[in-house]
Amino acid sequence: MARAFLRERGRYVGLLESTERIVLQGLMQQTRLLLSPEIEPTGDAFDDLVASMGLSLSAQDPRDQDHGDEHRGAGGHVSQPDSSTFADRDPALDRLLPTAHRGDDQIAAEFRRLTEEGLRQRKSGNLDVALRCVEEAVDDRVVLDETQAPAFLMALTDVRLLLGERMGMRTEEDAEALQAALEDIDDEDPLGYAMAWYDFLTWLQETLTQALMGTDLRDVVTAYDDDEGDAGDDGHEPHDGPPHGSV
Amino acid sequence: MTAAALSLAPVEQEVTSTDELVAPDVPWVTIVWNDPVNLMTYVTWVFETYFGYARSKAEKLMMDVHVKGRAVVSNGPRESMERDAEALQSYGLWATFEKDS
Repeated sequence: MARAFLRERGRYVGLLESTERIVLQGLMQQTRLLLSPEIEPTGDAFDDLVASMGLSLSAQDPRDQDHGDEHRGAGGHVSQPDSSTFADRDPALDRLLPTAHRGDDQIAAEFRRLTEEGLRQRKSGNLDVALRCVEEAVDDRVVLDETQAPAFLMALTDVRLLLGERMGMRTEEDAEALQAALEDIDDEDPLGYAMAWYDFLTWLQETLTQALMGTDLRDVVTAYDDDEGDAGDDGHEPHDGPPHGSV
Repeated sequence: MTAAALSLAPVEQEVTSTDELVAPDVPWVTIVWNDPVNLMTYVTWVFETYFGYARSKAEKLMMDVHVKGRAVVSNGPRESMERDAEALQSYGLWATFEKDS
């Protein structure tokens, strides 16, 4: 059973069993795939910096180069995207890379043109860090240093945003309807399975956030309790822990 | 605005968007919107970490997002608000910027 992230001698240590690590890695990889930047990091700091500005100095399409990874999706192009290319994209991207101006599509499109590549790179970078930390777990211990912990936290956020979007959770009302629907569904229903993992990731993110904010959870319950998720966000708390719930 | 103030040449004819000239004192704002996924503690942590806000201010803003559905989390020139919105989106928050009204 998983144990909360706790601060141990300047590091953040959580315990995740093999199955939990495998599922977490799978979800992180799917999120990474969706967010893959048009231009993958090259290892050259200057090129990556320029790429993060949404520009390419290279006349050659980087997709033609062999970067040795399978992440890059088919289609798309490297030149600066315009608003028309976003019509048929995955709706989950609208949650991970939301419109930044409500009411003026032109300003929103311009902002997106200037920032989307950089955001994709940063989010992908966080997921790469998090995947590596999970991969390197020894004796079920996932150990994060001071710079890895925030990256891990942001990666968990993006995974939960994607999972939430896939479950149709866009508003508070959706979330409540989903909780209500779960009470009537079969144990074998994939939605119930997805929700169970979503609740688990919520708990994991909560413990890491608390650890980063200096709350010591040692005196509280630190093992994951499957039933906690069933209580709902704002329902009763099964322990004396800090407030917990979504905004 | 910055460029126009530094230029010695007349700027009126060159400016096609008059928004900022008409209302130079109206700052822009960055807004964070409520969503069902982001955790209350996490949102507080982001406000503390990114803006350097004290715990009490970060928690108050977080509660505004939670209860009122949105909160203005920073204000200033448009460029700064674009930077804040971009940074908050990198944290996974639903952030937008707009001219204050």
